[in-house]
Amino acid sequence: MIEIKSITKTYGKKQNAFLALDNISFDVPDGMTIAIIGKSGSGKSTLMHAMSGLDRPEIGEVVIDGENILTLKQRKIDAFRASKMSFIFQSFFIQPNETCYDNVVLPLEIAEVSRGQRRAKVEAALAAVELGDKIRVKAANLSGGQKQRLAIARAIVNEPKILFADEPTGNLDSVTGGVVEDFLFNYSRTNKATLIIVTHDPDLAGKCDAQIEIVDGKIYSTKGLKETSEGEIA
Amino acid sequence: MKISDTIRRAGRSLRQAKARTLLTSLAIGVGAFTITLSLAGGQGGRDYTDAIVKANTDVNELLVTKKAPQANAIQEYAPNTGGTSTGPLGRSVATISNADIADIQKIDGVESVTPNYEPSVNYITTEGQKKYVATLATYSPSVALEYAAGSVSGELGDNEIILTQDYAAVLGFANAADAVGKTVVINATKLSTSFEKVPQTKDYTFVVKAVSSKSGLAFRSQSSMLISINEAKNIYTYVNEGTSAYGQFLLTSVHVKDASKASDIKSVLASKGYDAQTAADVLGTVNTFINVLLGILLGFGALAVLTSVFGIINTQYISVLERTQQIGLMKALGMSARDVGRLFKYEAAWVGFLGGVIGSGFAFIVGTLANPLITKALNLGDISLLKFAPTQVAIVIVGLILISVGAGILPARKASRLDPIEALRTE
Repeated sequence: MIEIKSITKTYGKKQNAFLALDNISFDVPDGMTIAIIGKSGSGKSTLMHAMSGLDRPEIGEVVIDGENILTLKQRKIDAFRASKMSFIFQSFFIQPNETCYDNVVLPLEIAEVSRGQRRAKVEAALAAVELGDKIRVKAANLSGGQKQRLAIARAIVNEPKILFADEPTGNLDSVTGGVVEDFLFNYSRTNKATLIIVTHDPDLAGKCDAQIEIVDGKIYSTKGLKETSEGEIA
Repeated sequence: MKISDTIRRAGRSLRQAKARTLLTSLAIGVGAFTITLSLAGGQGGRDYTDAIVKANTDVNELLVTKKAPQANAIQEYAPNTGGTSTGPLGRSVATISNADIADIQKIDGVESVTPNYEPSVNYITTEGQKKYVATLATYSPSVALEYAAGSVSGELGDNEIILTQDYAAVLGFANAADAVGKTVVINATKLSTSFEKVPQTKDYTFVVKAVSSKSGLAFRSQSSMLISINEAKNIYTYVNEGTSAYGQFLLTSVHVKDASKASDIKSVLASKGYDAQTAADVLGTVNTFINVLLGILLGFGALAVLTSVFGIINTQYISVLERTQQIGLMKALGMSARDVGRLFKYEAAWVGFLGGVIGSGFAFIVGTLANPLITKALNLGDISLLKFAPTQVAIVIVGLILISVGAGILPARKASRLDPIEALRTE
């Protein structure tokens, strides 16, 4: 369960202050797939960063499984992200000069998973995105869709309970994008993992259990979501 | 993140920028090369002088002179405490008398006191050969000699002489071995002979016991022939008796019972008005010279290392900039700032390690190839002037790794402080 309690984030100072997130509250039950939609600059990425502890809003709480991650020390948040969360980005952020294995094993190394378990986990993750035969191939030699699947394998290798995807299909054509979407939803379903997709693609958003639309840092509308009392609906 | 994983990732990042890694390593390698070679030179040089001193002096021996009176001070006349004789450039030099010798003999720990007889003789010859100017020195069993033929174990007997190879050749012997067992004649003139009379001379006959060979180490064996102390005293007495210089020695050697007490006895001698030089002093003087040279070379090496430090800082900064996204991703995936910093420090450490290995490896190859050439050019016999000590090389490499890590601190801090959100925004 992720509980977002009236978070507010400001960029800049005094006269130039810009309210990126304005008093946002909602709950995400475990295993739910939820889309955060909005135009660019609306604050949807900032919301994702706040939810994952990458960013620290000045006001509010992000309570995950009963713990407010915003009050944790940086080391604790890092460890929390390493063990429970993962990310997929629009531009993949894979290391082209490294092999698929070395790309995918990174989260396991960060989370200090013992060496004996790594190989099997990497193989399973690559198999899940149908890249099992590419384990020794350099990431640079993969196609765009394969690169994003590799990024998914890296994201799911340590079996996170929460998966953030920032415009996961933004750089892909509709066919390869569809394949990538299927892998994401499939992972969420089989592992009962929460999937949070930041997108401006209404089709992709439509496939999620719930949607939140952000406009100018505020929740503009929600669908399939029970909003908490603190929340304001514009 | 486990340290071993971080080190492996750091190494992998470097492999992906091979040319840059190699060039940065080469910069530090130049320093490693210079430092390793100069250390090897210093080691070899010290060993060389050590060998020279060991071959020419005795660790149990102190060379004693009397302290010269202050050049401008007026001396009280003292007839019986040894006189002054006029040394080079007209400076007066104090000499050691028999009374002084008896005095030194009384010092605790002194075994024997032998004045430096080394008598001046006219010539050396052998039957049917020309006469050749010669110098004599006294033989000491504790000074190592190399022999071309024959050998001496223990003391040299009276009437025995050690020739040098050169003299053996000019005196008409077929070879060094041929000279051994033959007799040679040394002629000396009595100095006290008055002018009116015909100079009085005397022949001394010696049996050749051995022929010393030319050595890269020995000074004496190259020019002086060696006789026993007794024989030297005999000739000295004959030559000098009746002159004012008789019984006045510029130099005397003091044999101590225990080499470790040599410096104590030196200070006792100093308090009694003598200057004493131990084998360690001789070695020290030569080594000071070597150390100065070594210091200069090491300075150049250190300069090269300093230059390469800026190279490392520069490359690592570029590396951080290039890998902004990667750093952002690793931080997003939960890598701590400390581990990110470590990743870059270990990269710098790898560069230092590579540079150290390349530099000292190259130095080793060059040194090994150059050693025979140097030995040949300087005519050192079987001595290698460049000696590579494994511990020194290891210290150089470890030192360079530490210096590189130091150079990597600033870029590593930049990497560890990168905001992951900003880092992931850069395309």
